[in-house]
Amino acid sequence: MKTEFKKNKLQFITFLILGALPLFIDSFYLDNISYFMCWTFISLGLAVIWGMGGILSFGQTAFFGLAGYGFSVISINFLGVAGVSLWSIVLALLLTGIFGVIVGYFLFYGGIYDVFIGIVTLAITLVLETFMQQTAGPEYVIGKARLNGFNGMQGMPTIGFEKVPYGLVEGVTQYYFILILSIIILISLYKFKNSKMGLIFLASKEDRERVSSLGHNVQKIQLIAFTIASILAGISGILYTNWGGYITPDSMGLVSAALPVVYVAASGKKDFFSVFIGCIFFVWLSQTLAINGKQFAIIVMGLILVISTRFFPDGIILMLKDKLIKKVKWLQF
Amino acid sequence: MVFLFNIFYQFGDSLAFLLLAAIGLAVIFGMMKIINLAHGEFITVGAYGTVVSGKVFNLPLPIAMAFGVVITIIFGLILEKLIIRYLYGRPLDSVVATWGISLIVSQSFLVIFGPSYEGLQTPMGNFQLGEFSYSEYRIFLIFIALIILFLLYYLFMKTSFGTLARATIENPSISSSMGVDVKNVYTITFAIGAGLAGVTGALYAPTMTIVPSIGQAFIVSAFITVVTAGASPFVGLVPAAAFLGTVQTSVTFFYKSTIGLIAILCAVILIIRYLPKGFSGLILKTRSK
Repeated sequence: MKTEFKKNKLQFITFLILGALPLFIDSFYLDNISYFMCWTFISLGLAVIWGMGGILSFGQTAFFGLAGYGFSVISINFLGVAGVSLWSIVLALLLTGIFGVIVGYFLFYGGIYDVFIGIVTLAITLVLETFMQQTAGPEYVIGKARLNGFNGMQGMPTIGFEKVPYGLVEGVTQYYFILILSIIILISLYKFKNSKMGLIFLASKEDRERVSSLGHNVQKIQLIAFTIASILAGISGILYTNWGGYITPDSMGLVSAALPVVYVAASGKKDFFSVFIGCIFFVWLSQTLAINGKQFAIIVMGLILVISTRFFPDGIILMLKDKLIKKVKWLQF
Repeated sequence: MVFLFNIFYQFGDSLAFLLLAAIGLAVIFGMMKIINLAHGEFITVGAYGTVVSGKVFNLPLPIAMAFGVVITIIFGLILEKLIIRYLYGRPLDSVVATWGISLIVSQSFLVIFGPSYEGLQTPMGNFQLGEFSYSEYRIFLIFIALIILFLLYYLFMKTSFGTLARATIENPSISSSMGVDVKNVYTITFAIGAGLAGVTGALYAPTMTIVPSIGQAFIVSAFITVVTAGASPFVGLVPAAAFLGTVQTSVTFFYKSTIGLIAILCAVILIIRYLPKGFSGLILKTRSK
């Protein structure tokens, strides 16, 4: 297995530290770190399509919200059925994936490109937000689940972490679940990046027409990558819903839609590991700043976005990572 | 008769809103191919400039409006000098950066002015027709929208600045070698776009509750109108706004206003899919046949 993942010591060390973390910090902080890591998946998805393929989607939150709502509706309806939390995840992700395929087909086979992809995806997430906001009435009910308009949905069962043996508390199991999931996804993304398909996708960013005139089906690969990104956004949505026990239309709004773009742009969209670490860092930063009011956090996020696009187009975290590796000889090879 | 006028009034209101929301964005996008996601916040600046100067200095409304527009132009010029001018030719980055600006500005307004600000009274009176009452100011806005559009057309098509601007857009390097100060043209065009956003904010300031997210009400409409209009804003803007206005008015008429918004968003998605160059592409294509 000669993947980038194994060659890179920095990533090994980071994951060792993250893996050992539950031994050193108490469950409150651990729960917080789980929350930060919930956001890495949607950011990694955006890094796949934007960093590799140059497709900037503003509507990843549409998939985030759809998966969150889907998970809530399915699990509330089948409350008490054996293993409900597990297969409602699968069903919700399937739903998100199908929606991703439909949207992607529409975009790439419809010949929509560049900035227009951003506008269409933004429109989609705003449609979903607007629709969900006006579902307060009792007529908006799916089976047993009320959609609840502005207030959002609550009361979905948590993914059955408490049933896991070995005497682990719920928070720790959730933490390891998310950590292992992110490691698996990072490895798979590296594999995708180095596969033939990934290379074609990378090339399509430079010149779509030239790649397709070489005989590659660019649209198909773009569609596959877009679907991967939408499912990753869905994973974030489900984990977020599960972590907080609620999902609101706000999570698909204009401000929420900007946040993944901030995380990815400021971290370094071309490097998955930087996006992973950067996402955790920036979610932590915005949470810390939000103690004085959410608006301060958003102002700083906006500033970070402007500064990083203006001065560090390759991303701040990626630049720091490269500097660190250059300085510390031991980290090379 | 009253029924017909009612529909015409609703349609005109929605048309004026879409046109005024989109006009500044259309100039910046059409001329410089920059998608300015902070456009809504330019409108916010214009609205706050008008209301705050009207309240604090007790200025009469037209002067307060002029003040709001000037503030927005200055604001736009500062942003252009500091950030935007480094992003010409990087369309995706310019979207992302202007999105950041939009977050900063809207949240700063929330911090400085609080969640809502006491608005001004809508000028002019109302008139009665049958059992309904209509605002004269809103009728006035429809005409203002059309006049602004005509003035812009004149500026870009008939004046020497317009010629320089169009030449720069067509080919910056050749224009530059012919002695056009390209950077200057970009700056002025951006300032015009910002000023138009300020005009929109100032015009709508007396009709709305002034909240920091006021720009968001405009930005979505602005985008969908510009995208529907296509690459050449002067040709496509009016048909695009008329089309979207029709969709919105008719759906809102039968259902409710949120469904109306959803309907135009869906209409835009379909337009982009089947008419990727928008209405102006369609019109230019049929004209060249």
